[in-house]
Amino acid sequence: MEFKPKLTRRNFMKLAAAMGATAFLTTYKSDIVKAVNEAKDYWHINWINAAACTGCTVSFAQASEPDLVQILTEITVGNSGLPIALPDYMETVHPASGSLAESLKERWKNGTPGKRVLIVEGAMQAEGFCTVAGKDMREHVKEAAEVADAIIAVGQCATYGGIPAAKPQNGQPNPTGAMGLSDFLKEVGIDKTVINIPLCPVHPDHLVLTIAAVMIGATPELDDYGRPKAFFGRNMHDEICPYRPYYDRGVFTRKPGEEGCRYVMGCKGPITWTDCAIRKWNDHVSYCVQTNMCIGCSEPGWPDKFSPFYKPVASLPAVLGVDFGTLGQGLLGAAAAGIVIHGVKRALTSGKKEEKKEE
Amino acid sequence: MAKVVMDPVTRIEGHLGVTMETKDVTTSTGTWTVVDKAYSHTNLFRGWEIILRGRDPRDAFFLTQRICGVCPAPHGETAIQALDHAYGAVPPPTAILIRNILHGAYYVYDHMIHTYLLIGPELGVLAKYPPMVPPALGKDGIRALGLGSSYAACIEMQRKANKVVALWGGKFPHHTSEYPTGVTVKPTLDRIANTLSNMTELWDFAVNVMVPDLMAIVSKNDHIAETVSSLLDIDFNGLQDLGPTYGNFLSYGLFPDYNDYDKWVAVQDGEEGYRDNALIKAGAWDGDFKKFTHTKIKEYVKYSRYDDSITGRHPSQGDVIVVKDKPGAYAWMKAPRYEDKVYEVGPLARMINTYGLNWKIDVTNPVTGESFTFKWKVLNPKGSVIDRVAARVAQTVLFATKTMEWAIELKQFLNGDIVSTKIPDYRYVPDNAEGIGLWDAPRGALLHYTKIRGKKIENYQCIVPSTWNLGPRDDMDQPGPVEKALEGAWLPELDVPTIANALYPDKDIDASAFGLGMVSWGDALAVALKPLGLAPLNMEKSDNGKTYNTSLAITVVRSFDPCIACGVHFIIK
Repeated sequence: MEFKPKLTRRNFMKLAAAMGATAFLTTYKSDIVKAVNEAKDYWHINWINAAACTGCTVSFAQASEPDLVQILTEITVGNSGLPIALPDYMETVHPASGSLAESLKERWKNGTPGKRVLIVEGAMQAEGFCTVAGKDMREHVKEAAEVADAIIAVGQCATYGGIPAAKPQNGQPNPTGAMGLSDFLKEVGIDKTVINIPLCPVHPDHLVLTIAAVMIGATPELDDYGRPKAFFGRNMHDEICPYRPYYDRGVFTRKPGEEGCRYVMGCKGPITWTDCAIRKWNDHVSYCVQTNMCIGCSEPGWPDKFSPFYKPVASLPAVLGVDFGTLGQGLLGAAAAGIVIHGVKRALTSGKKEEKKEE
Repeated sequence: MAKVVMDPVTRIEGHLGVTMETKDVTTSTGTWTVVDKAYSHTNLFRGWEIILRGRDPRDAFFLTQRICGVCPAPHGETAIQALDHAYGAVPPPTAILIRNILHGAYYVYDHMIHTYLLIGPELGVLAKYPPMVPPALGKDGIRALGLGSSYAACIEMQRKANKVVALWGGKFPHHTSEYPTGVTVKPTLDRIANTLSNMTELWDFAVNVMVPDLMAIVSKNDHIAETVSSLLDIDFNGLQDLGPTYGNFLSYGLFPDYNDYDKWVAVQDGEEGYRDNALIKAGAWDGDFKKFTHTKIKEYVKYSRYDDSITGRHPSQGDVIVVKDKPGAYAWMKAPRYEDKVYEVGPLARMINTYGLNWKIDVTNPVTGESFTFKWKVLNPKGSVIDRVAARVAQTVLFATKTMEWAIELKQFLNGDIVSTKIPDYRYVPDNAEGIGLWDAPRGALLHYTKIRGKKIENYQCIVPSTWNLGPRDDMDQPGPVEKALEGAWLPELDVPTIANALYPDKDIDASAFGLGMVSWGDALAVALKPLGLAPLNMEKSDNGKTYNTSLAITVVRSFDPCIACGVHFIIK
């Protein structure tokens, strides 16, 4: 007897959201592989690295369920023809180089209409800071975005600009005019939906599931920042942190080695929406807070609005520089302010049982 | 003379282009085209160091890791070493061991993916060795021909290595767990046990797959040498004749010993030394062991897009003025030099500075008790493709073993401090200080310099391995290591399957599983490449209208494991 709901295009992302990426992948792995195999009909993937560190590519290679080897040998993707989820173009792993590699980009553009996925890793910059084969990166991405049938931005840099778009804290401007992909596309007049999958780097489960969703035609529901709600709909501190009981008891880590809630040392969990705490990383063995604290890399405005990292979150407007109404879904302004003020009181009273939550 | 361009150079980190000027060499068997001069162009600029200015000095640990997602951990470590130095305190034994375990496991991942995913495919083709060619025919190809068996296994194994990194670092890429003078993660028996079980599998893979794969490549070397020699009528000794530099090798040392940390710190202070109780020693080999001091490092900019007034400076004086359209300049990278000479950095430099030219490494897996000896005599004392690959394999075996030993040793320190007792709490940052971090990333010697004023970063400088190896000519007109290594590389006018058939004409591969009979190596490769649209693999059309096969040249470039995001991060002022 089968008690699990049947996986369909309609409930794909809903189940992912309800179960969490990890449990969903484990439970529905064979269904996902089957669905993608049926829907494959040669999807064409073009993975472009702009102002990137390649960390998202490396993170993709850490995919565990279904792990990359299974994707390598079971799911055929792209007109590369390789029995590999090998994109038609992907600088870091592709067998081809030089002019042949560039010709593969052109071939991708001429792929089956409706089946061309563009994945961008890294930030977009002003002209002249990144060239490949003598052509500016802006042109490469613009040309690809014009024909792409689905666009996925992976990692903090491609989604919101990340560190390449950060400003030095001495009043000077960002050195290369860097920004995220959706801002760039607006600038060059391309009006297409970008699925933003932030975190630094992208989590492989998020990416594998999003690619699968796109292929079987299951449109992910996105929040105001373009993120799939299934993965970025929960507050780290308030909803899923395993260290939350320490916070409620007022036990805080104040120097390395002390056990406790990481709020006072500067943890950005209270202003971060991601499922890291329950999904975890690298075969689900650990995540940032387990070995230190959260630095907030799923959010727009990172790192500048989250730095210095070792400084407690004081108040939301001061940190984010925006009013509550423009914050992401899942956050009710007043309640969020409550969280923070509650936390500050805890910090100040150093563990005393004070419960003056201000609404 | 023709001009041949490889852009993008794929299967590296980042955006690299290489321009080669050729010359023709005529022998009794024909006229052959080889590389005369090469120019390395680095094609991305992000301005990392300026973004760091004005920030909390500790943010550098998180932010500099994001310079490179392939080698983030060493950037984090070097940033932390610079902060250790600036804080003027040393990490306790527990923290040193935890750092060593995390980075030991990280190294195993990094050297593995380079060996199989990045440089491996060309080596597999050259040596007619299917396990190192990508699994282009899928599971059927793996079963019938062993095509890509090691390549596919590597993807699985590198994941296990990164699991160990995540156990101690929270996640990989971009771990979170280091702190000035220590770490933020506690030693637990659970983490130790999990480390040992994963590392045991990795040790087994290193000893029983990686080493035999290397030896399989080497076993074809004489055959490759004879065939190419007779075809071209030249003296070609094999893969050791591909990619020599100058015979100068620089290493900063790696994996300190907590029993005598003073030797480690002395080199940060600018003293000459070997850091000789570290697992990998510091040194400036020039044919013999020489002590290293960072005071002899200077950066030159004659061919870089910066003003000539700042040439020849030590990194602590590193002030950079961009001249975007400088006449004659062709690179964003500067040219770092040691005593004004060109030094190669990387795995081979680490091995030579630690073991000389003859390596004999005895290891015992502390969990299973299995013993193994890795032996290698450096085939070309000026460095070569095969020596660099061998150095990575040797270090994978050595570091996998040591990571387990450190994990076992850590059991004695479960209750030890994880930061220096001089750190009162998370609020403490020194008002004014400066520090230098000297570590070796997989790609070679890595330096971070931080200057703290008013508890904030006033200046931050990195000199990274790929700047040493891929930088341009210097003020003395000496080509950089990769530029030098490419000189003399053969650019055949034959495609990959044709060369494979010239090397291995026998029809001895049973391709009946793919509807063919017995085929030769080149024909088998053609079968795999053609449907993928990869038939003209590595073929580049030059300005004289001829098309050249750049397989050998690109293998020389890849043997340095280039990382362009690291190399190009300079300050724009």
